[in-house]
Amino acid sequence: MNAPAPPFARFAFSFLLIAALPCALAASATPAAAATPAAKPAAATPAASAAAAAAAPPCEACHGAHGEGMAAAHVPRIAGQSADYLKKQLDDYAAGTRDNPIMANFAKALSQQQRAKFAARYAAMSARYIPQVKPPIAVHLARGHQLAFQGDEAKRVQACNACHGPDGVGVPHAAPYLAGQSAEFLASALKAFKDGTRKNDAGELMRSVAERLDDADIAAVTGYFASVDLSTH
Amino acid sequence: MDKVTRRSFVTTVGAATVAPAAALLPLTAAAAVSPAKTANIAEPPKTTYLYFNTAEVLFIEAACERLIPADESGPGALGAGVPNYLDKQLGGAWGAGERLYRSGPWQPGTPSQGYQLPFTPAELFHASLRAINRDLDAHGTPFHGMSPEAQDAYLKSLESGAHDLDGVPSGVFFDMLLKMSIEGFFSDPVYGGNRNMVAWRMIGFPGAYADYFEAIDRHGVKFEREPMSLAEDGHGHIHVRQDIPANL
Amino acid sequence: MAQRLKEVDVVVIGVGMVGSIVAKELAAAGYKVVGLERGQTRFTVPEFQSPAVHDELRFDIRKALMQDNTREPVTFRNQGAQVALPVRRWESFLPGTGLGGSMVHWNGQTYRFQATDFQLATRTRERYGKNFLDPDVTIQDWGVTYDDLEPHYDRFEYLLGTSGKAGNIKGRIQAGGDPHESPRSRDYPTPPQKEHFQGAMFRKAAGSLGYHPFPQPSSNLSQPYTNPEGVKLNACVFCGFCERYACEHYAKSVPQTVILPVLLANPNFELRTGCQVQRINLDSTKKHATGVTYIDAVGRVFEQPASLVITSTFAINNIRMLLLSGIGKPYDPATGHGVVGRNYAYQTMSTVASFFDEDVIVNPFMASGASGTLINDFAGDNFDHSGLGFIGGAFIGAVNTNGRPIQYHPVPPGTPAWGKGWKQAVVKHYNHTVMFSCHGSSVSQRQNYCDLDPTYRDAWGQPVLRITFDFPPNDIKMAAYVTAKAVEIGKAMGAKQVVGSPRKGPYTVTQYQTTHNTGGTVMGDDPKTSVVNRYLQSWDVPNVFVIGASNYPQNASWNPTGTLGALTYWAIDALKNKYLKSPGRLVSA
Repeated sequence: MNAPAPPFARFAFSFLLIAALPCALAASATPAAAATPAAKPAAATPAASAAAAAAAPPCEACHGAHGEGMAAAHVPRIAGQSADYLKKQLDDYAAGTRDNPIMANFAKALSQQQRAKFAARYAAMSARYIPQVKPPIAVHLARGHQLAFQGDEAKRVQACNACHGPDGVGVPHAAPYLAGQSAEFLASALKAFKDGTRKNDAGELMRSVAERLDDADIAAVTGYFASVDLSTH
Repeated sequence: MDKVTRRSFVTTVGAATVAPAAALLPLTAAAAVSPAKTANIAEPPKTTYLYFNTAEVLFIEAACERLIPADESGPGALGAGVPNYLDKQLGGAWGAGERLYRSGPWQPGTPSQGYQLPFTPAELFHASLRAINRDLDAHGTPFHGMSPEAQDAYLKSLESGAHDLDGVPSGVFFDMLLKMSIEGFFSDPVYGGNRNMVAWRMIGFPGAYADYFEAIDRHGVKFEREPMSLAEDGHGHIHVRQDIPANL
Repeated sequence: MAQRLKEVDVVVIGVGMVGSIVAKELAAAGYKVVGLERGQTRFTVPEFQSPAVHDELRFDIRKALMQDNTREPVTFRNQGAQVALPVRRWESFLPGTGLGGSMVHWNGQTYRFQATDFQLATRTRERYGKNFLDPDVTIQDWGVTYDDLEPHYDRFEYLLGTSGKAGNIKGRIQAGGDPHESPRSRDYPTPPQKEHFQGAMFRKAAGSLGYHPFPQPSSNLSQPYTNPEGVKLNACVFCGFCERYACEHYAKSVPQTVILPVLLANPNFELRTGCQVQRINLDSTKKHATGVTYIDAVGRVFEQPASLVITSTFAINNIRMLLLSGIGKPYDPATGHGVVGRNYAYQTMSTVASFFDEDVIVNPFMASGASGTLINDFAGDNFDHSGLGFIGGAFIGAVNTNGRPIQYHPVPPGTPAWGKGWKQAVVKHYNHTVMFSCHGSSVSQRQNYCDLDPTYRDAWGQPVLRITFDFPPNDIKMAAYVTAKAVEIGKAMGAKQVVGSPRKGPYTVTQYQTTHNTGGTVMGDDPKTSVVNRYLQSWDVPNVFVIGASNYPQNASWNPTGTLGALTYWAIDALKNKYLKSPGRLVSA
């Protein structure tokens, strides 16, 4: 483990439901997890494990019943996210290319096909738009909108929407959606790209952008995308 | 292969067809709305013509549909709104001579020297269509009344340069009509053609959003993604520019 | 009445890549430099942003980034006996305009010429004898060698961050690169871009025939890079909107992404846009420039005095600038005397289309402007021309840059031009076709030249440039030969049908080929056959330097831009270390 666990890990531990996962995960649980009131270990037979795995994925505990995420804990909304993006993140967690001990445990316990299945399941979900607890003020929204649609020449940053799609709705096989994503999660992601703790962006495409943004830019652009509600017309 | 639509992540309320954004008020409601993206559109869009008069419209709609016909692979020129594209280009700055060097003196020149007529595209089309309609009216059936075979034969005769259209060699007119029809078929739908990106869908061209950094590694694998217009918003509504043309 | 401005050290005409580099170097050396650009400023944000920039109609078809031909056209004819007529719409070549010039919309294909190219006349005589060439062919040696230019090629490639794989480092052949290249001192600054499927297919097929495929050197970068000027570029994402477009990602090497931030921050440099330079002014001796006259966007006439004038406009506009200024003797093809406008050349382009069954998925829209894989086995003098009856050659490669459908919808011969048959063929072949380019050299000949048109004028009332050009028979023969070789590679790919389209005359301005116009202000050792000396200094007016592909005595098998960058740094070296320390003729006539 190269980096400190992200903040949401503290919340995740107390919600961890180990019972739903195959045996292997329970056996390799992190020391902190062992301290929580763990549920019964998974049954021994593969059939029972598979049934248990299919019945109640632990994802809900952090990512919500509808995949809407948990903003305060920096857990991202994943409902309707691009399936190949989700699959890639699971692969990267498992391989250690994206550093996160909680997600690594979950991902390693899943086969390639299971990861694809979970990715597809969440890609097919819908969750209601959740407004920010503290919406950004107008001038920050305007700055965020500018970065999203236009970019900033002085900082040599191109428009986010160039890759992330109109209104940040995402572009399959290219970039995940940003619209309606929690500002907290987006900010932690940009900061992780910027400081190098997250390095699974192909071509360093995200690092190249993040390293040119300051804290005010990050607050503005993440607050803006979190405010984009595509559920109404 | 990721076939899930991009908008499934947010619960939608309401019917499949939606009203266009208020910022761009269309001249004709039907033309501006982009209904749910379907591969085959049975009803050609209603177009408000600003450049072509009625007689010209009858020729243009029929002729374009012969140039690019509807078939099993999808809509043709009519379903894609190619006549609308032509109307807005010819009625706008392009038709008026944008990007055309218009000073004389004029000589016909050699084929290597390209277009040498004084006509702007708008003038050329009006002159040619006037001559065509007059010629066909005088000799019997108007173009839109002919059988498809007869229409093709007439178009071929235009293509070969067999007619002088009030000073416009018919081959010059035909080449411009064909070139602009192809543009209207394959350009971004913001310009009023390629309605709902039917032409892009037909060939598998993904459109204006184009980050292929990871996909380029998947040699020989079909790229499965809905095409995307430069003018669509996060709901997939394409904001067609009724006031066209391509501004430079 | 012209308003006379305060004198400066240097005027740079045209703030494209050449002008930007020259201005940056001289301003950094402490000189007061004014850059005059006819077009407007533009930057990556907001002018180059997508999705708006990914608009094929606007940029490809309507030529949004190009020189305004309604105000400043050229005229053209194939033969001197014809009347030249205006090019009323750009098609064959597309000169740019605006800050950054044509290299804003270029493809990023970045090549060096080979050592032989710089002594083409001598080498041809030595290898093939005095009588090998058609008598009309006027190829010449350049007056500089590849070795002279090598450090400057290196410097330009490192400025751009060009992505590639060296084939010859200091004489040692490197696997995976081009074994034919002349020696370079070190590898490219960044590794090659990813190969697209077409490039991979080409590589296997060309390799199977014993040729030497290598990745195309690309100034659309493979990874983030900070250049020696401290400017950082990003990785290219293969969007397929490269040539004729500007890059939204800071990933294409253009003046805005490699040098303008440094130039524009230097208070010794002043940029003036919307300024149309009318002529370089000479004193009564006609051997000394006093500055330039220009008309600004409001229509006001200014005289800008300067000690040194650099004309770094697009190649053909450099020729016109000298003619309008009365610098150098205009070339007369009838007598063979004069030099300005002489040895105009172009690029001889052929294509091969390989059609596959529908199970072969090509995805042509995934590409950068310099994607692909090519061979130099039939380029330049890399093969024995004995008995073939021509000199020169072409690089052959699967270097397709896009799948933009208005222009790209390949169909086999015999397909109708319209109708159901056309539509069906388009659907059938769009995603199942591989296109090769045969990018051929262009010899100069007596009959091909540029001068001022006697009839047509630009919007400022000045005569426009007249281009008289047709493909020399040498190049038609070369095109047929290389295209046949390329067809064999297509067959080795296993295509169902392979169709070669070798370039045939007459040259037409109605079909895009390249914007590789060269010659007209040729460099050399002999003032009777060149306009500038080896340092790109005018023989006639020593305080005028001319930098552009207009200096090329003939065009080689590769894109001119890499060599132009090398010549720019070579000339800057001469300016800073020789001329500006002691102004005067650098080479005795």
